[in-house]
Amino acid sequence: MPETSKMKKPDVKVVLLGDMNVGKTSLLHRYTERKFKDTISTVGGAFFLKQWGPYNISIWDTAGREQFHGLGSMYCRGAAAIILTYDVTNWQSLAELEERFLSLTDTANHDCIYAVVGNKADLTDPTAQQSQDTDGMSEDQTECEDRTEPEVLSTSLTSSASPKQVTHEDAMALYGRILRYKGLEEKSSLPAEKMCFETSAKTGYNVDTLFETLFDLVLPSILRKRNEYQESPTVDLEECRGGSSKRARSSCC
Amino acid sequence: MERDNHQEGEAQGVKICDPPSERKPPDTLATSLSLLGNHMFPDPVERNNSTTDKEEPADLHLSDVTAQEQSLDAEPPSNQVKKLETEEAENSECQSNESAETTDRGAEDAADRVTEDAAAVDNDQSDSGEFVVTMLAKAKLEEQGIGVKGRSSPLLEAGTQESPAFMSHRDEDVTADSWRQHRKHVFVLSEAGKPIYSRYGSEEALSSTMGVMMALVSFVQSGDNIIRSVYSEQHTVVFLQKGPLVLVCVSSSRQSEQQLRGELLYVYYQIISMLTQASISRIFEHKKNYDLRRLLAGSEKILDGLLNLVDSDPSFLLAAIHCLPLASSLRDSLSQILQKAITPNLVFSILIAKNQLLTIVQEKTVIEDTRLEPADVHLLLNLIGASSAFQAGEIWTPICLPLFNPDCYFYAYISYLDPPECTVCLLLLSTDKEAFYAVAECKRKIEEAMVAQNSLSLIAKAQSYSVSQVGVSDLRHFMYKPFDVPDNYRQLSQFTSPEMEAPYSSEEEKMRLLDLYRYMHSRIHSTSRPLKLIYHVAERETLLAWVTSKFELYTCFSPLVTKACAITAITKLLRWIKKEEDRLFIRYPPKYSTTPNPSKSSRGGKSDQQDSTDNGFLSLL
Repeated sequence: MPETSKMKKPDVKVVLLGDMNVGKTSLLHRYTERKFKDTISTVGGAFFLKQWGPYNISIWDTAGREQFHGLGSMYCRGAAAIILTYDVTNWQSLAELEERFLSLTDTANHDCIYAVVGNKADLTDPTAQQSQDTDGMSEDQTECEDRTEPEVLSTSLTSSASPKQVTHEDAMALYGRILRYKGLEEKSSLPAEKMCFETSAKTGYNVDTLFETLFDLVLPSILRKRNEYQESPTVDLEECRGGSSKRARSSCC
Repeated sequence: MERDNHQEGEAQGVKICDPPSERKPPDTLATSLSLLGNHMFPDPVERNNSTTDKEEPADLHLSDVTAQEQSLDAEPPSNQVKKLETEEAENSECQSNESAETTDRGAEDAADRVTEDAAAVDNDQSDSGEFVVTMLAKAKLEEQGIGVKGRSSPLLEAGTQESPAFMSHRDEDVTADSWRQHRKHVFVLSEAGKPIYSRYGSEEALSSTMGVMMALVSFVQSGDNIIRSVYSEQHTVVFLQKGPLVLVCVSSSRQSEQQLRGELLYVYYQIISMLTQASISRIFEHKKNYDLRRLLAGSEKILDGLLNLVDSDPSFLLAAIHCLPLASSLRDSLSQILQKAITPNLVFSILIAKNQLLTIVQEKTVIEDTRLEPADVHLLLNLIGASSAFQAGEIWTPICLPLFNPDCYFYAYISYLDPPECTVCLLLLSTDKEAFYAVAECKRKIEEAMVAQNSLSLIAKAQSYSVSQVGVSDLRHFMYKPFDVPDNYRQLSQFTSPEMEAPYSSEEEKMRLLDLYRYMHSRIHSTSRPLKLIYHVAERETLLAWVTSKFELYTCFSPLVTKACAITAITKLLRWIKKEEDRLFIRYPPKYSTTPNPSKSSRGGKSDQQDSTDNGFLSLL
């Protein structure tokens, strides 16, 4: 069928992970819609397709709530890039990445790349308060009045005063530990300086840089995948017919 | 509700106030709804008082009905009904028979129900025991400053006036007067007394209040009893205990206890839909003082949305689905589109527009097994409505349909078909956690077929209807729930209702009309004295509610209508509905079979594709 549906097939998968309320949906929303709005806690995962040049990049925005952990590995299966997001004003959100989210990445590709992203930088860093993109600015003023997402426990205690709790160095240290967890050589992997970001979905600070850096980095993975499955559409269908429908499905992501 | 009026009050209570749990053995709490009222006011004088209290809401002018209420079952209150009775034979078993018996039967029922509550205790004992405990509970409430009647009560003493309920109240000051004046509070706490949810204000700020609630519950429990409700002049406090969760509603809405309990049950089900019953029990077995907010954090808005819907949408009251009126040819073509876009393990395909059902297609084996309960559909609709995040991208999320199976998840694919307007929403439910890409492919087939048939613009034109189309003057509004839809075996309960138009265009007036309907509903479904027919002259309108074995009907007329007029109008209305049936209801819910048949799932969705195949068995759950 349909050329259209083949066209839309995602070439590569990027997943946003992180504790609740760190701003995963807001980051993505800032990037795709160019604005910041009060979002509602994500349910399950949301799937987006992003055209990046000739490629289709699928982005999974996942729920940070523990409740949805069961699906975490499904969202991560075959991922080419994983964005581990924390909140710079909340130390616990960084700790959670290591405690809860790192294990979810086991199903990602072997050559998956990892980015550690500290969001809400505008709360602590004056430079991040300046908007980076010009077009979304006007809306910001009106829409971003409050960040009053439901706050719990530690967040409610800390984020009101919002001192910076996580430094860039902490994040880079975490990146090192992630590589070790994955059994990757630090030398042959992407350097921490390049893969640790501080962003603000509210002002747009560093958001485009984050996504675009990642997209550029996953390109090789797309090309390799294309080569592997040169006759890909037919392969998929044959596999499905063979009855192993589940496997076939997972291979298409 | 096709139920016999002569049923035991108990059974009726369960069915009506607790519609979703029909399939399950009734919960002890839900079983014995009206009992507390009787026991709280054991002596006739007091009881009369209480009745009077209840009958005096400012906005429910009860006229002659009140008088009957006060005579308390002594007289068959059927004078206004009689004429109608003769009009319709079905109607013959009207309230008079019931009410005559009620007094005696009430006592028997009470005993029955108590037996169920505290099986170990002998009837009389537990009967009086319960009374004492309730009184104690009351006293305790007062003592704790949550006073039931006391003027000093911070929680309960409040005006009845409702506040705008359509915004988030999480940051509200719980010590403020405005907080106390909310029309309906809902609290959820764990058995350990840990706050889980409060409709208004943060749960944390309310932890001591919730502690008192839990103290009440456990105090009554320690006497092998169950606390069900507390009545005061202004408020009704209803308790519902479900597994490790305790739900409490404090309402000044004048709704019946059964209705309030039904609403609490919806809240419980919504929680279950996110976590499953099994996992909640497991968590609390493991750790009694677990803070469930860890798992529910972020879901408050879904519960808020549910409670707002419950207040503003009669579907919950009627336990039926409201579907968007649609030419049957269009509905059929939509159904066919859904029927053709299938993949293994797909069990429900649901198309929604403007928060109303367009069509629903179910897996064959599933319908034979169990039907989709209206309450489950309500929860799904609320989930979609409450989450604006759904408006972008495609969602894949686990969701439990508590009445279908409270312990397992379905995987829901949710996507809007008309971004950025986001009015037409597709919901596909699969039992396969990994099926996202296959199901997303179904959506693409559906999208294509809908483009080919120009369905979206046709759907956009569809709208609810005006009561003027019925062509009956004096008729302002109605709600009609048929029981005799063709193919009613496993049919989804539905109802139809026109737009609320002037004089019910403002939010306040809408709510006032709904309150009147709720009142009529509570009278019709009263556990102690159910009615078949009620003609109620209110201050600004006249209402007539009528339940037969074939339908349940609530009508609202202009205040000056005569009974004869109203009856003619209803005859005309019923005729009109009959004529429009195909448009107003989903008459023949289509089915498909998603027998694993790979060629179908992977190959294109051209419209020439065959219909579903019949062989095989669906591996459900």
